[in-house]
Amino acid sequence: MRLEKCWFCSSTVYPGHGIQFVRNDAKIFRFCRSKCHKNFKMKRNPRKVKWTKAYRRLHGKDMTQDATFEFERKRNRPERYDRNLTENTLKAIKVIDKVRSRRGEKHIQNRLKVRVAKDRKEAIKELDQQIHILIAPGATVKGASAATTSPKVPVKVQQESNENRMEE
Amino acid sequence: MGGKCPHRRVKKRRYSHKTFRLAKFLVKGDDAVYDELKKPEDEKTALPLDEDLPGMGQYYCLHCDRYFANVAVRDEHFKTKRHKKRLKVMAGSAPHTQIDADLAAGMGMPDNGPKLMSM
Repeated sequence: MRLEKCWFCSSTVYPGHGIQFVRNDAKIFRFCRSKCHKNFKMKRNPRKVKWTKAYRRLHGKDMTQDATFEFERKRNRPERYDRNLTENTLKAIKVIDKVRSRRGEKHIQNRLKVRVAKDRKEAIKELDQQIHILIAPGATVKGASAATTSPKVPVKVQQESNENRMEE
Repeated sequence: MGGKCPHRRVKKRRYSHKTFRLAKFLVKGDDAVYDELKKPEDEKTALPLDEDLPGMGQYYCLHCDRYFANVAVRDEHFKTKRHKKRLKVMAGSAPHTQIDADLAAGMGMPDNGPKLMSM
């Protein structure tokens, strides 16, 4: 049983699943589901579509170089059946899977660390540039001192109120 | 390529003409064109005479995979926006292939075993 990878999104295609397109130059394109097939027919580039593995790899979202990637590969040469070898392989698969998932998590955590530092830097910059939004232009240190020193000017209120009554 | 059907009443479905459908399958894929462009100069052969193609198959645009009736039409095509866009795409990185998909899925390069025959 050979588990193929989807041409578009790089997910595993199990036997009996998905669809396969053979171009007239005998090139084979396998798709895991109709979503990927439709995207191929729309001539979309998997490197530019954000949900594909190809995009995630290219943009450093996923782990790219690791020793665990060397185990799973297309072997185009038949191997003689060996019971011990098969048993060991089945055991190794579990171990390797664990190691890979742990390293993948580590990669994501490292990515997030960079993000935190970047966010902090951006926040400081924004605070520097946008401080005038928080503090009104009259309420700066200079303005506040001026307001306290200047004497209060009395305003005649009664006259205004009289004018209003006349209008009514 | 292909064409609109001028007599069609329902204008929405004008692209269902059979020549258009045929042209869709005859056109070369991006990766095939890219491989053709990357070939070294000495491997490229002169265009063969083909009376079924426009201009006996002598005036060809490699990037767009199109044949033209004469030099003037082809040179006019070289000035078009579509051709220039195509040039830009082909000057970029190699198109996505199945091997790229496999590598992105966390697989290694394919293992073909040792070579049995000495070349």
